[in-house]
Amino acid sequence: MWLSQFLWGDIVTAGPVLAPGAASDLATRIRLRAVNMVAAHGFGYLGQALSSAEQVAALFATIRPGHDRLVCSPAHYVIGVFAAAGELGLIDEADLAAFGSNGALLEAIGTERSPVVDYTCGSLGQGLSAAIGFALSDRMRARDARVYVMVSDGELEEGQVWEAALFAGHHRLDRLTVLIDANNSQVDGPVDSITTLEPIAAKWEAFGWQVQDVDGHDLASVHEALGLAAAEMTRPSVVIARTSTVHGLNCMPADADGHFIKIGPELAAAAVAELTNRLAAADA
Amino acid sequence: MHEPPYRIELKPYGRALLEVARQREAVVCLTGDLTRQCEIDLFQDAIPERFIHCGMAEANMMGIAGALARSGHKPFVHTFGVFATRRPFDQIANAIAYPNLPVRIIGFMPGVSSPGGPSHQAIDDVALMRALPNMTVIDVADATEVAQIPAAIIDVPGPVYVRLKRGEIPVIFDSDHQLSLTTAKVIRQGSDVAIFASGMMLATAVAAAKALDQVGVSVAIVHVPVLKPLDSTTLLQVAGAARAVVTAENHSIIGGLGSAVAELLAEAGLGRRLRRVGLQDTFAEGAQTSAYLFEKYGLSTQALIDSTWEALNRPGDSPRAPVTPTEIGEYAPV
Repeated sequence: MWLSQFLWGDIVTAGPVLAPGAASDLATRIRLRAVNMVAAHGFGYLGQALSSAEQVAALFATIRPGHDRLVCSPAHYVIGVFAAAGELGLIDEADLAAFGSNGALLEAIGTERSPVVDYTCGSLGQGLSAAIGFALSDRMRARDARVYVMVSDGELEEGQVWEAALFAGHHRLDRLTVLIDANNSQVDGPVDSITTLEPIAAKWEAFGWQVQDVDGHDLASVHEALGLAAAEMTRPSVVIARTSTVHGLNCMPADADGHFIKIGPELAAAAVAELTNRLAAADA
Repeated sequence: MHEPPYRIELKPYGRALLEVARQREAVVCLTGDLTRQCEIDLFQDAIPERFIHCGMAEANMMGIAGALARSGHKPFVHTFGVFATRRPFDQIANAIAYPNLPVRIIGFMPGVSSPGGPSHQAIDDVALMRALPNMTVIDVADATEVAQIPAAIIDVPGPVYVRLKRGEIPVIFDSDHQLSLTTAKVIRQGSDVAIFASGMMLATAVAAAKALDQVGVSVAIVHVPVLKPLDSTTLLQVAGAARAVVTAENHSIIGGLGSAVAELLAEAGLGRRLRRVGLQDTFAEGAQTSAYLFEKYGLSTQALIDSTWEALNRPGDSPRAPVTPTEIGEYAPV
């Protein structure tokens, strides 16, 4: 059950499953569900869900199930996709409740068994190559489809990403859109303290890509950027989403580990309360 | 079987792949910037719309191949064996082997068949690919078998790694020889020693057996083109009928045929003295000719005879390897 051949009915929809208006709520619900998913273990990849919540929401408001494909290159981000799919009723609650447990379908780092995504890999930097394979296949078969790839900024340190970027630029894979979560976070600390990636936009531009650089926590901006990317007919496109791994949770300590966070019962309770209140206020 | 010197053929793989691709729309052909060397210039000229030039970027190429297979294509991926296995190992593991996808990885220039030095000599490709779950590993002996490779592997459900000699390919088997992916080929039975050979070393084994025959050593030869899954039934039966076993491979003795046979014999509790002919846990070197390297690194007919002699504890000097003069367009083992 992958997005390209999904599921929400045997319906191949012409448009996305989620109206853009509903997506804003979804970003908060992704955060809330992700908090609960990691709180059950006391630790997990929460920072990835917090930084990418708006991107995941925008993707679900953009992707056409049955046509388009979703690649989640950094498999540590799959928690956000699972959370969104849970909110949309695409994954069983029992499976979500078992997330990350022994024998669970939903592993904390995505694998071949992970539903919803068409490809993901815990060995980083590989997703764009797979997305290119999908896009080439679509082109050879004249399929009307797009491929969306979630990529993290830390992954840009892997050479394979640039092999793939060169290839996609050369072959003008215009049906391909990369969404980079530029949260400036990797295992050992801030990305820019370890390897200078900037200017990220100029690098992709030089490789022949259409580039947009947006506030990754402004859902409307991300959604609009994905629309502009889809309208690009001559080049692959990349949206650089500037984000933070603690965004949307005021109770998180500023120095919280963005890659792998420990979250005790107290902090978890505070986070749940904060997000629940925000949802209630939005509904009021 | 033919007698040495063997006549040679050019591009048996390239022609066979094209033939299969013409019948099967799903075949796509990927190259890592070694197109003519991998015989797929024929494919590029004939079916350009299914030919994907990935440039010198093997990691990306393997990722693309995995997703193409996932989408229902049958990708055949081509480069030299070293670049096909060492460099993109993680990509093969994660994007191809673990999801068990029907990607066919064709690595040319096995072992010291290349005089190009350690960077170009695939001495550990079989070991690396054997270690990956789901992977089928093949090392065929001659042009008759090479020509059958594309059709033989196209419908294997999971991934396949094939190592192929580059350039002049000897014709050892008769034209009616059938390559089997399940049964190792017993070339001859024997009661003193069983020689198990893969790839280019089959011709060497045949030449060694001839010399050993003349001094009264009864030699069995089994050609083992499929290193994984190994035909344990045939190998145990032939080994059981002999007093010693010698493996011969154009590869490191670690992780390839020799290791596979050692594991098999030990697990079966079949106690036979074992000698492994191959690269003795060493890198080779650059040279002018591969023949020099076969000689220097213990892959010659004489080296195989000597190992067999020693495995059998025979007194006195071992017999001399036959010398087969060759002309242009002919092949004989070193």
